[in-house]
Amino acid sequence: MQALGAFEKIIRLSLRRLAGPVVTALFTLAYAVPCLAAEPVAVFPGVPYDGYIVYESLAVFWIVLVALIVVIRMKLREIERTQQLGAAEEDPNAPLLP
Amino acid sequence: MNCPRLKDWFEERYDLRGIRLLAREKLVPEHRYDLWYYTGGITLFLFILQFLTGMLMALYYVPHVKFAYESIIEIVTKLNMGWFFRSLHHWGAQLAIVFLFIHLFGTLLLKSYRKPREMVWVTGFILLGISIFFGLSGYLLLWDERAFAAVRVATGGAGAFPVIGGFIKAFLRGSIDVTGDTLLRFYAFHVAILPIVTLALIGLHILLVQFHGMSVPLSLEGEKRRDIPFFPNVFLKDLMIWLVVLGAVVTLAVLLPPEIGVQADPLAPPPENIKPEWYFLFMLETLKLFPGTILGFNGETIAILCVTAGILFFFLIPFLDRKSSRGEKSPLFTWIGVIYIVYFLVMTAMGFLS
Repeated sequence: MQALGAFEKIIRLSLRRLAGPVVTALFTLAYAVPCLAAEPVAVFPGVPYDGYIVYESLAVFWIVLVALIVVIRMKLREIERTQQLGAAEEDPNAPLLP
Repeated sequence: MNCPRLKDWFEERYDLRGIRLLAREKLVPEHRYDLWYYTGGITLFLFILQFLTGMLMALYYVPHVKFAYESIIEIVTKLNMGWFFRSLHHWGAQLAIVFLFIHLFGTLLLKSYRKPREMVWVTGFILLGISIFFGLSGYLLLWDERAFAAVRVATGGAGAFPVIGGFIKAFLRGSIDVTGDTLLRFYAFHVAILPIVTLALIGLHILLVQFHGMSVPLSLEGEKRRDIPFFPNVFLKDLMIWLVVLGAVVTLAVLLPPEIGVQADPLAPPPENIKPEWYFLFMLETLKLFPGTILGFNGETIAILCVTAGILFFFLIPFLDRKSSRGEKSPLFTWIGVIYIVYFLVMTAMGFLS
């Protein structure tokens, strides 16, 4: 009788009894997978080397911009100096060259 | 570079000497507020940038409900520098509207709208409205859940306008809800209709500015000041500022590329804490101030009527400010302008923080 009781306990713990909840849980999880947060779209180069190249290019771009601004500023100051001297104005009495 | 034969070819056919004289004669007053003159130039530069980056994007974008989202993903992830040009287009749009507002508020506070420049104000104001519609139509082209929900709210809000609201909503959506028809319609607006109207209005705006000359603030009219030639002095200063703005847009595009959300699903619930673009936030916050019903009337309709009345008053300021048009100081309209600016800034900040 004792052996029969132990056998009943084994049946109670057998996979047959766990099968229902396990299958339900698996189905629930499998169904929920697509509902998890979608992976964000990579809007910037993902490879570190590519990222480094982009930042390096940005630095070079700024150096060129600053250089251009300095050149334009120098040109503007030169123009202003010429204008202050009156050299830019046309002289109506200037003799025409043949 | 000197090409005398090419120069002669053109001079024989066109009055280049006249154009050169015209450019030399254009003068710009120099005073302590002349920095405001550059805001218009910056906006123009950003518009040009938008046209160029927009043309590049249009080469690859597919305006179809099934492929729009995928085409954006492809532009961003597969095309060489595609992510950069999309980001540049996004930040260019944001800064263009920022500078449009700065230009508008500067014009308002310096009373540059006063007689005889009312039409300059009118064309500029319409350009601001078009730019905001540019932003809204471009936002939907992404076809992600946030853009979809924002356009649904915006077009729904337009529908609350009395009498013509239903027509506006149906016209914008092209259907009973935001669908593929809306996407196609917004695409047509974004790449064809609005650019043509914008080009025409920018042309008219610049022509009117050339015709009237630069406005000098009332407080400085009696003062002795120097006029400097536009070519080359102001043009070179413009060029330097444009380079700085270009640097700022490129930096923003690299450091803060705009995110792409989940693809739009008309049947899915709208995402939580959905917010429209920043330039609509003041309107949204104003709508929140109104209760659901006021004396038995729909609160949203009354709110939209109030906002419309506020915008209409703002638009008509050059025609209402009689003192400025007579050349007298008008502190009342200065205060009205300050109230508008403070209201816009406070409501936008509240929209960000809420």
